[in-house]
Amino acid sequence: MSSRRSRSRQSGGSSEISDAQITDLISKLQQLIPELRARRSDKVSAAKVLQETCNYIKNLHREVDDLSDRLSELLATTDSNSAQAAIIRSLLM
Amino acid sequence: MDSLQPNTITDSETSPDSNHKKRRKITHPQNPLNLMPWRSNADQQIYSLRLANALRRIPRPAAQIRDTADRVLAATAKGRTRWSRAILTRRKKLRIKKVKRAASGLRRAAIGRRKRLPAVQKKARVLGRLVPGCRKVSFPNLLEEATDYISALEMQVRAMAALAELLSGGAPAAHVLT
Repeated sequence: MSSRRSRSRQSGGSSEISDAQITDLISKLQQLIPELRARRSDKVSAAKVLQETCNYIKNLHREVDDLSDRLSELLATTDSNSAQAAIIRSLLM
Repeated sequence: MDSLQPNTITDSETSPDSNHKKRRKITHPQNPLNLMPWRSNADQQIYSLRLANALRRIPRPAAQIRDTADRVLAATAKGRTRWSRAILTRRKKLRIKKVKRAASGLRRAAIGRRKRLPAVQKKARVLGRLVPGCRKVSFPNLLEEATDYISALEMQVRAMAALAELLSGGAPAAHVLT
């Protein structure tokens, strides 16, 4: 990454953040999101990227919650020691 | 074989310094976020083991499991990112304080940044609420934190799903965790 001083413009406020850097960060974010990965960045607006990011994070949160529910049920019925042993065994294989 | 992982990148537990987020505008010493730091096998296995360990000692309610999972995730991040530090220090009391601070965030928005359209700004604020500890960070920092947070969440989902498979399947499904 090039030095930020050479790229940043002196904007009115105290921030020295350049548009190019923002665009770069947004495109990196875009690459992570499955919905937007196929599209090219010039067709996707920043607002859309942010929107999809929020949706994606909410989805991930929901998945984690669902998995937590499932794990809580499973842990209730499984002996914790044997679960631990099973995990270690599978990691060592 | 790596059905759950799109890439297998090499271990990236290596450069804590370059990822240390300070209160500067942008910190890009070399490589802001080591490419996909959460995608490696090692990360996921470490997380799975720690999670399994932690879950052994706590009671069952799902909310606690979610909480534990988050905290172990944040611990695995080794304090490189803001969201992980926020998770590790969060308590119920702090959450009330955060609500108050969000109100002052609105005032900042009224001043307005030159290059941020209102739509982008609104969505950025929503995003800031979703990522722990990022309500008042600058826009570029928010984007960086969000990218890391998303990768971490994906890993968390993969690890917890694998754990669930393991516990429910009974038979050691070796390919699931490796």
